[in-house]
Amino acid sequence: MRNIYIIYALFAIILLGNSNKLSAQSGQELVDICGMIAGDATYLKDFPIKLDAAKVGEEQAKARHSLVLSKNTQYRFSICNSKDYPGEAIIQLYDNNRLLGTNYIVATGKSYPSFDFKCTSTGVYHIFISFKEGEQGLAVALLSFVKRL
Amino acid sequence: MNKRLIYILLSLLMFAACRSDKQKEVDFSKEFEVPDSVIYDGELEISEQAMEDIVQNISSPVEIAALIKAVGVPFSKDYLATTNFVDDYNTSFKKAIGLGIFGADLGYQNMYNKTGGVIDYISAIRTLADGIHVGQFFDFSTLKRLATNNQNLDSLMYISVQNFNQMDRYLRENNRSNLSSLIVAGVWIESIYLLGEVIKEAPNAELSEKIGEQKIILSNLMLLLKNYERDPSIKKLIDDLSEIQEIYKDVTITYEKGEPEAIEQDGMLIIIQNDKQYIEISNETLFQIIDKTAKVRNNIIQL
Repeated sequence: MRNIYIIYALFAIILLGNSNKLSAQSGQELVDICGMIAGDATYLKDFPIKLDAAKVGEEQAKARHSLVLSKNTQYRFSICNSKDYPGEAIIQLYDNNRLLGTNYIVATGKSYPSFDFKCTSTGVYHIFISFKEGEQGLAVALLSFVKRL
Repeated sequence: MNKRLIYILLSLLMFAACRSDKQKEVDFSKEFEVPDSVIYDGELEISEQAMEDIVQNISSPVEIAALIKAVGVPFSKDYLATTNFVDDYNTSFKKAIGLGIFGADLGYQNMYNKTGGVIDYISAIRTLADGIHVGQFFDFSTLKRLATNNQNLDSLMYISVQNFNQMDRYLRENNRSNLSSLIVAGVWIESIYLLGEVIKEAPNAELSEKIGEQKIILSNLMLLLKNYERDPSIKKLIDDLSEIQEIYKDVTITYEKGEPEAIEQDGMLIIIQNDKQYIEISNETLFQIIDKTAKVRNNIIQL
């Protein structure tokens, strides 16, 4: 009888031990998936983001990256969420003081997996990434080069 | 019978445990011993966070090469830096800045789908990357296979750019951002050199403007490098780039703010910035910048 318990326990350990590994997505997988979302645009940079859920009554932290974008260039920002976490990422693009665009339109509630940015001024821009409703999330944002304008 | 089953399950468990060990992330900093001279332990002038802000996408071989190709200038291997002396690049400074220079040349060749000479460049990059202990991020065998078979050239570009990003990230995360900054500087110097050579042969207003707008990029690059000015080699590079920056004082950049607009086209969201940026650069200033950058670059690659 005792042996049967041991067998059950060992089965449980093996199953539990492997279940996460079967489903967990690696950062590289997310970058590759995001590359597919970006289509035929040429990959430039990736920004992995992992954020904990916001605490009750507090705003969730945002990941921030600054990058140089060039005039007369069309870029693509793509976002890819890990299926292992509930959060759906929102990416916002700012110049020094203004929101220029985002993949999530609050007014319509519509999210886009990517958006293009037609840059007309060379300089430093900032992207902020957070997760809808402050949920815990893991995502990769990808910057790609689409074409010269 | 049960005992036998327990043994089998125990074996399975041990096998699973071994497998999961293999899948754990490898801490390369422990696996590869890094000489002290490579790690920068001096005081930084600006915070690590501020450096993160500056460093991203400062110079991209893809964008400059795409511009050169877009204006219709044919490919020329004469512009490329020679890989003949790579084995003599004997300091981490030379190795890191050389990585940037050859990375830019690789991007230029990839943009034109010229795989003939690519293997020399990926071999040079591997040698230099190994020299500063980041060779594990450079997928030499895949790149060589893609270049040799002359197929799937998009993958060649994708993997090489991604490998450079991985090296850059690893260096920054392991207190070696001095080397990461030198790679960025190398890419920038070679990109301006390529632009300059093309302009000398085929003058073009768009390319000249591109040189002019580098005033913004160079000021960010200088901020980055000034963190490490206690290193004599980097100090020398800063002095050289300061001379270029001095010439850039004659370049005027003005702005006119516009309202950004968002449109949906075939289901794709497109943001149009609508700002205007005017860049004024005289021919004299343009060629001073080109000549000075070429001198700095040639000093680096000729040892």
